Amino acid sequence: MLTIDACRLAWPDFEAEYALEAPAGSMLAIVGPSGGGKTTLLNTIAGFETPVSGRLAFDGRDLLPLSPAERPVAMMFQDNNLFAHLSAAQNVALGIRPSLRLAEPDRARVAEALAAVDLSGLEARRPEQLSGGQRQRVALARALVSRKPLLLLDEPFGALDPGLRREMIAVVDALRRSRRITVLITIHTPEDVLDRADSLAFVARGRVLVQDAPRAALDPARDPAIAAFVGHGAPAKS
Amino acid sequence: MRRAAGLRAPHPGALVALALAGLAAAAFGALIGAAQDRPSVLALDAYLRRILVFSLGQAALSTVLSLVLGAALALALARRRFPGRSLALAALGAAAVMPAIVVVFSVVAVYGRSGWLAAGIEAAGLAPRPNPFGWPGILVAHVFLNATLAARVFLDALSRAPAEHWRLAAILGFGPRATFAHLDWPILKREAPGLAGLVFLLCFTSFAIVLTLGGGPGKATLEVAIFSALRVELDFARAAMLAGLQLAICLSLTLLLHWAVTQAPVAPTERLPIARPDCADPRLRLLDLVVLALGGALVLPLLAATLEGAAALPRVLDGDLARAATTSVTIALVSAALACAMAIALAGAAQAARERRRGRLAAAYDVLPALVLAIPPFALTAGLFLLLRGRVGATEAGFVLLPLVNAIGALPFAYRFLAPALATSAERHGRLAALLGLTGLRRLAIVDWPVLRRPLAGAFAFAAALSFGDFGIVALFGGAELRTLPYLLYERLGAYRLDEAAAIGLLLVAAAFALSAFATRMARC
Repeated sequence: MLTIDACRLAWPDFEAEYALEAPAGSMLAIVGPSGGGKTTLLNTIAGFETPVSGRLAFDGRDLLPLSPAERPVAMMFQDNNLFAHLSAAQNVALGIRPSLRLAEPDRARVAEALAAVDLSGLEARRPEQLSGGQRQRVALARALVSRKPLLLLDEPFGALDPGLRREMIAVVDALRRSRRITVLITIHTPEDVLDRADSLAFVARGRVLVQDAPRAALDPARDPAIAAFVGHGAPAKS
Repeated sequence: MRRAAGLRAPHPGALVALALAGLAAAAFGALIGAAQDRPSVLALDAYLRRILVFSLGQAALSTVLSLVLGAALALALARRRFPGRSLALAALGAAAVMPAIVVVFSVVAVYGRSGWLAAGIEAAGLAPRPNPFGWPGILVAHVFLNATLAARVFLDALSRAPAEHWRLAAILGFGPRATFAHLDWPILKREAPGLAGLVFLLCFTSFAIVLTLGGGPGKATLEVAIFSALRVELDFARAAMLAGLQLAICLSLTLLLHWAVTQAPVAPTERLPIARPDCADPRLRLLDLVVLALGGALVLPLLAATLEGAAALPRVLDGDLARAATTSVTIALVSAALACAMAIALAGAAQAARERRRGRLAAAYDVLPALVLAIPPFALTAGLFLLLRGRVGATEAGFVLLPLVNAIGALPFAYRFLAPALATSAERHGRLAALLGLTGLRRLAIVDWPVLRRPLAGAFAFAAALSFGDFGIVALFGGAELRTLPYLLYERLGAYRLDEAAAIGLLLVAAAFALSAFATRMARC
């Protein structure tokens, strides 16, 4: 269970205060206008932003004193998830040991993770020899081998075509079910996750305005910002 | 895109390209013509072998030292935030644009027989006196100029690493070793070949530094040998032969670099200040401290040496200085204008060729400015002077050839400022301009000018800075009739009037620094 409680962050030009919950093994979609604080929320969980007050815990363990590497967190971005000078297998191996000096069982884990994302046979390819979807699969495989129970996906498939995007989300969904990983995913196209996510958090102006079942959370009647986002009713004043 | 059929007037860029090729051909033709009666000099004599070995050796060593120190400085500056860091960055910038003749003065003032180092050694009661002439002086000067350049290029590249990579490094728990192997080293490795080629070329063709700090007949570059063949031995045949050799070496190196260096595109990312995971490592902390101290010990005294000239400034402000300054400013303005005009014409021609889908022609226009760097300026000057000889005197020829050859020397840098701006403008408004029938000067004024204005100001300032501080071919024509500020500095240095040299150096450094700071600001738009 991921618990965020009154987590306050402050900059000269932006202020945020987050509160949300995600049960272990669930998928939480994070939706909202650009600049509303979705990425900042993920950065706070990963440890790149330090709250001035509030609570951040996973399975009862306080995450705030921990460095990003010590937190139970794997992360994936829209671009630049892979290091261009390393092969697919080496990029995955970074999730086990950054020195890349792997023992035999570790190698087997890398192969198993690549097989789990349907990339067997492409171990030796460099990122530039992979398609956009394949690159994101490599990044997913790295998240798997790191055995971190919390996976943060920051607009991970935004650069892919709609069909491929839904296919990748299905891959993520299957993996989190089989391995009981808690997934937080920010996404511009909520319709892709309506049938897969357990809940949806609508984030705007640095706040979680609503957290509910996906369809219910996007009800335009709940907040003018949601209405403006989904395109019904009167535009919100922000 | 369709164009009207029939005869089209040639693009001004085509004329510029032809004129440049024509000038180079005419100059070499004249030199070879003068060489006709003495074919025997074409043999590779022992002296020539010696200076070739020296040129290549000092260039190779300067390149290795510059890149290693530059990379270490860049990494230390990337890892550390300390008070005075922005000052250190400014010092790197100032060092990289310091005119070579001023660096010569600084090396003499700091490491010379009566320099700061000698004074320190004497005060400590030690015997050996430093002698900067020969290898040590040349290496110090070259490393000063090029390690600072390398540090800036490396630091810039390091800071353009994707922010995602730094976040991954933090999440995956990279230590100092993995951070270097996966984040820093690939970037340094990508930048190194192009940078090494450039530094090698600059050191191989180095003139002012090797001429004044060489300290012996064998310690010369080809450029210096061409100069002494022209000015001391009056042997045009020998100059032509040396120039041919220089051209062949530089041209092959330039072409090799042009094909070898390709940059992989990096996806744009947001820039978030992410702490590097290797900052806390105590060994790296010590290493960075040593590197920064070493870099500071090399760079700061040489930068500060000209400041001593502030006291002597009133003494050098005489008629000579005013005349030399006027000459320098005039030459700088004319050559900067010429360089910018040529760069715009060539970049416009490249763009026009690209729009007509003639990629090879466009690529040829793009590589031309880099190729002119390979032409030895002395050979060009001497050849053109031979053509003018008899019609005008040496001083008049100098007044024509100085701006012209300086402009050609500044062309590659002006091109680098202007060509991307013209390409951007074409990308944004090219089709619209074609639809509206805007071509030629009208298109330049209405479509390109708003985009071009700032880069043009930058290119002009940078070209002017290069020309203003140049001590190259003015050494051929310089004398009572024709003096530039760098030439005046050279004369005072030769007379060992170091305080006056310092004052002139201060003026040159101030101008170079102001102009290049302005150029950098204009380029960042």
